[in-house]
Amino acid sequence: MSDWVRVVAHMDMDAFYVSVELARRPDLRGLPVVVAGTGPRAVVTTASYEARRFGVFSATPAERARRLCPQAVFLAPDFDLYRERSRDVMDVVREQVERVEQVGLDEAYLDLTDLGWPRATARTVKATVAARTGLTCSIGMGPSKLVAKVASDAEKPDGFVVLSREEARKRFAASPPGLVPGIGPRTAERLAARGIVTLGVLAAAPPDSLREWFGPRLGAHLSALARFEDERAVGGPRTAKSESRETTFPHDLSGLPALEPALERLCDDLCVRLERSGGRGRTVGIKVRLSDFSTLTRARTLSTATSERGVVGGVALDLLRELSPTAPVRLLGVRVAGLDIEGSSAPLGEPQLSLELGAGA
Amino acid sequence: MKLSTSRETFLARLGIAVRGASTRSAIQALSGVLMRADADGLELQATDMELGIRVRTEASVEREGSVVLPGRLLLDVVRSMPEDQLSLEHRAAEQDVEVVSGPSRFHLRTLPSEDFPRLPEPGDAEPVRMPAGAFVETIGRVARSASRDETRPHLTGVLVSASGSRLRMVATDSYRLSVKETTLAEELSGEVEANVPARTLQELARVAAASAAEQIDIVALANQVVFRLGDVVLSSRLVEGRFPNYEQLLPDSFEHELRLRSNELLEVVRRVSLLAQKNAPLRLRFAEGELEVSAQTPDIGEARESLPVPFQGEEIEIGFNPEFFRDGLESTEGDELILKLISPLRPGLIQSGDDGGFTYLVMPIRLNV
Repeated sequence: MSDWVRVVAHMDMDAFYVSVELARRPDLRGLPVVVAGTGPRAVVTTASYEARRFGVFSATPAERARRLCPQAVFLAPDFDLYRERSRDVMDVVREQVERVEQVGLDEAYLDLTDLGWPRATARTVKATVAARTGLTCSIGMGPSKLVAKVASDAEKPDGFVVLSREEARKRFAASPPGLVPGIGPRTAERLAARGIVTLGVLAAAPPDSLREWFGPRLGAHLSALARFEDERAVGGPRTAKSESRETTFPHDLSGLPALEPALERLCDDLCVRLERSGGRGRTVGIKVRLSDFSTLTRARTLSTATSERGVVGGVALDLLRELSPTAPVRLLGVRVAGLDIEGSSAPLGEPQLSLELGAGA
Repeated sequence: MKLSTSRETFLARLGIAVRGASTRSAIQALSGVLMRADADGLELQATDMELGIRVRTEASVEREGSVVLPGRLLLDVVRSMPEDQLSLEHRAAEQDVEVVSGPSRFHLRTLPSEDFPRLPEPGDAEPVRMPAGAFVETIGRVARSASRDETRPHLTGVLVSASGSRLRMVATDSYRLSVKETTLAEELSGEVEANVPARTLQELARVAAASAAEQIDIVALANQVVFRLGDVVLSSRLVEGRFPNYEQLLPDSFEHELRLRSNELLEVVRRVSLLAQKNAPLRLRFAEGELEVSAQTPDIGEARESLPVPFQGEEIEIGFNPEFFRDGLESTEGDELILKLISPLRPGLIQSGDDGGFTYLVMPIRLNV
């Protein structure tokens, strides 16, 4: 590990939403549990490992999940709770590691390069997360984000896998190319059409042929991925640039009288969220997806940043009325962008000075 | 529990109560509204463990009892009901409440009521009676300065002190400090000293705006405070940690003291602030007899405007967060305000010109000249 340019860990919470639910409903432990929305178009957001045995995974349509595993306990997602637990988890991580790149609610990359005992630190993170939140995670370690990510997935749940680049190449040589993030189902299909069905074959494929088939950029990228070459640094904390709420209706809605109350509710939720995080944004936008799946967006930028329900709601309603969709609406969303987070908003470069509140403050 | 009530009345009261409910708790009952029907009518309660709201409303109660229902859902259901006559009945066997209005019939599953916490009772403690108008007005002057940063909980409160005929509120987020002293028309019956979450006070102001009550009864307990406003009772935990010793933050003396016309300055600041985006500061350059307000945002543009001011001495330029500076100007009352400055890296002070008891201390932004 000492000869690695970087030491990166990838922490991935195990079946995060379900685990959070089980923590408050211990009576459901050991049962197939599925967190999914309720409407006819909902999809599964997380399935417990028991439910996965029945073929129910993230993004499985909820209807299909009910058929595959009728005995599963279906729970509606409670994102506010998941966000709260996520904060608890990330707090633990940040206590141990300085450079953390959080990805979504349940994943993070940790840069352990300059730490004396990277493996011990990663173990400590894993143990402290479990002790503090009762949730398990899987951790993968490697010389790059790519190796770490694949390693964290290798022995889920509750895994701890350390791999060098060479070890990763060997271990996953027989795995399908789609195992590597960055090779999506379509690319995997195109690779399969060329007879490339494993990472080993892909790594051994002549770079010239890959370039010819996939173009110079994607071609080179694919061979690098297959060899687990990845130069990306662990990014610092990413601050939210926008906050949004959207909802897919159980049945398409038509006409402003039906749409406006739905928009109002989205604005309520969004502004509560903004109020809590202290975020204010200058751009208010709406998103309307029609029954034919065409998506329209409209936005307006204000003179000053706001999180006020009256302002956000007013602008959003104006935008909706101006748009007045004539076709039935499938999905409606509202977003506030260009956020500055108050409190943490000491301006960069031109620093906001603080009052000296003294000890005890 | 079985009762009937008017949709309009119930909706208005429920709307107040629901604001106390949690939107992100692990305890389901905290997202609910507790309905308790007794011989006197109906009481609604909601709490997120920090803030609790209790509201009484008229209802003709046929059968007493209590039940917890999901707050937001109940609000949406009641709001959408077709007729003004509304009846609610708890059906214990089905674990739900039947809500009927005209031809509509809803069955809402109840939440586990044993998880619903008891809200603090003021007990026998003698309340301090406060004029609602003055109290709410004072909240409006300072609450904006409280921090919304949950990682600095001790700054999320407003220090409320009242004794004799004086009411004082103080808030700071460490970038600015607001102090408002209000002289009351009558002597208070007792004293209050409490660090109350700004959110609680803002909620109280909202309730007061929709209420005819002229008095607020305040009881401060060990770590709770209870406000009673007409038939609404708001209880709240107090902010933990000592409120900063703010008096030592106020400089003893200033280099410059300018009396300015509030509206004129505010309008200039509002206009020019439009071009202080992306954390760009608002720049105030004082020269003999003149103040130039300017702002510049890279790739967006710039704005400047001068106005005559009675400034004397060596030119100085100081930068402020436009929002913080504007908040200060907007919170003064009267035609004139007093702006006091020391130097570009020391705090500025804004006061109402007519000794309205309002003081706003704001830290500058360091300018890269």
